[in-house]
Amino acid sequence: MKKIIRMNPILRKELMVGSRSIKMSLAIMGVNALLTFIVLLVIAVTSLESAYGGYDYSGLGTLFPVLSCIECGMLSLIVPIITSGSISGEREKQTLDIMLTTPVSPFAIALGKLEAAMMVVMMYIISSVPVMAISFVLGGMSWWALIGLFVMLLSIGIYVGSVGVFCSSLVKKSVLATILTIVIGLSILFLTSVFLSTGISIITYRDITQQNYQYHLGAVPMIMFLNPYSGFVDYLVRVLTNTDLYTVIEEVGTKDLPTAFAWIYKAWVPISILVNLLVSIGFLKLASLKIAVIRNKK
Amino acid sequence: MLQIENLTKTYGKFRALDNLNLHIEKGEIFGFVGPNGAGKTTTMRIVCGLLKASGGSVHVDGVDALKRPDDIKRKVGYVPDFFGVYDNLKVMEYMEFYGSMYGMSKRDVDEIADGLLELVNLADKKDVFVDTLSRGMKQRLCVARALIHNPDLLVLDEPNSGLDPRARFEMKEVLKNLGSMGKTIIISSHILPELAEMCTSIGIMEHGQLIVSGKVDEIMSQTHGRAPLHIRAFTPDYENEEEGKQFLSTLLKEQPMVNKVTMTEDEVVVSFSGDEMQAAKLLKNLLDKNVLVSNYYREKEDLESLFLQITGGEQA
Repeated sequence: MKKIIRMNPILRKELMVGSRSIKMSLAIMGVNALLTFIVLLVIAVTSLESAYGGYDYSGLGTLFPVLSCIECGMLSLIVPIITSGSISGEREKQTLDIMLTTPVSPFAIALGKLEAAMMVVMMYIISSVPVMAISFVLGGMSWWALIGLFVMLLSIGIYVGSVGVFCSSLVKKSVLATILTIVIGLSILFLTSVFLSTGISIITYRDITQQNYQYHLGAVPMIMFLNPYSGFVDYLVRVLTNTDLYTVIEEVGTKDLPTAFAWIYKAWVPISILVNLLVSIGFLKLASLKIAVIRNKK
Repeated sequence: MLQIENLTKTYGKFRALDNLNLHIEKGEIFGFVGPNGAGKTTTMRIVCGLLKASGGSVHVDGVDALKRPDDIKRKVGYVPDFFGVYDNLKVMEYMEFYGSMYGMSKRDVDEIADGLLELVNLADKKDVFVDTLSRGMKQRLCVARALIHNPDLLVLDEPNSGLDPRARFEMKEVLKNLGSMGKTIIISSHILPELAEMCTSIGIMEHGQLIVSGKVDEIMSQTHGRAPLHIRAFTPDYENEEEGKQFLSTLLKEQPMVNKVTMTEDEVVVSFSGDEMQAAKLLKNLLDKNVLVSNYYREKEDLESLFLQITGGEQA
């Protein structure tokens, strides 16, 4: 029977080559070793406290956010390293030209590279499940909270990975592409945060000077949709405190806030995931255009 | 098979290709010759869809390569002037990877790849890592890879570049076999005698234009008897060396079949269109005028000398 869905050949090749490399195994081992160390540290500290008056399980509640943030941070470091060599590596090996003479489109090449990186991310996430599950057993987290976390991490991985593939298409050297990915990633973080805080400052200042405390933030917080971590932060806040971004916005004021805006803020997490995916497609498209531009060069 | 008409490629003000016209019949092995920067690689990259042309048209088997580059990709196999292989893949995996790029199933690739590896003498290497292959083997593997989708046209950009004599010989045999199988091949090379031996037709490019093109035999017969004469001579009747050279130059220009006389430090190079008998008569005329000749020979009439004549001595 003919296969209806054909695996991207780039993905297939990357998986084959990746499985022969020791680097991936070492990276996954390193991340899990770090997570295990943190868990043991938290348990040790909690046990120490218990010596003065019974075991305090509430201390283990910090496991989930701490592990989540560490896993997210490690993912943000590993994914650019994997993806930033994706296109530039093909250039270095002088195989990109040959790929471009085949019917596989530049977009499929970029997508295949991202898919391969996401397979590594999946392995990384799944391999950390046993360690993360300790926060389920001892930290009072539900399975849904863990599953939600993995979806958020995957969404961030796709975003950061697509930036890596894009940067890799821009420059010839993989090292330069890694640096560029980190610079662009940090710039997105910094600029969206600066834009948000500036916007809030202007609006609240206007409120104070006009003595009208019932203004709303309008669309200003939406800039944070471009920040791949905003959904992750909102998700952690929801899981840990049962509040969300909308509650924060309400504190500034929601008078005359369009209903659609209110809905958007309340559904921040799924919309953030959707935006992450759309931005990723955009970066992949840019990467494919950059790859195709080779046809205009000497 | 391949029709190129008024093909132009510009980079800013630089014209890499200047109204290039070329027709290659099905089953031909066409050799591209020309000095560095002549436009050979640019032409090949446009044919393969790796470069956009600035003007003109390219048709491969009736398909417009400039308007339908995606359709061309199934008709053309490309071997660049570098290896372009993944060292951490095995030979058969490498073939399977490129087969899958053309939408072929693993079973189809395995069937075809076996024959192709046999063709390029790598059948016993299919389970070894590409990393362990020699340069010559890697280059032959590239040829096998370029044939995986059974293209109508095979484009090879200096496939012998950097290979040792044995590897060059093996590559030449592979290409000869492909030629005997009826494949249309375009090949550029710096090693001109090999091109003459392998190719059915050649094209000499310079400054983005095709200066000479046609069957090897026809081109050689057109240029037969046009190889220059090299003469080392003395004029004892003239004590002043400059006067002696002037006399010799004038004397040679008066001779029949002499087109151009170039005086160098040690010798005189005469562009001569006569045959061997007329060359002998020229020598006699010089001796009759008391010109003492210590060296008198005619350049070889091969592709290399033809190339040097046409391109004015620029290196291929």
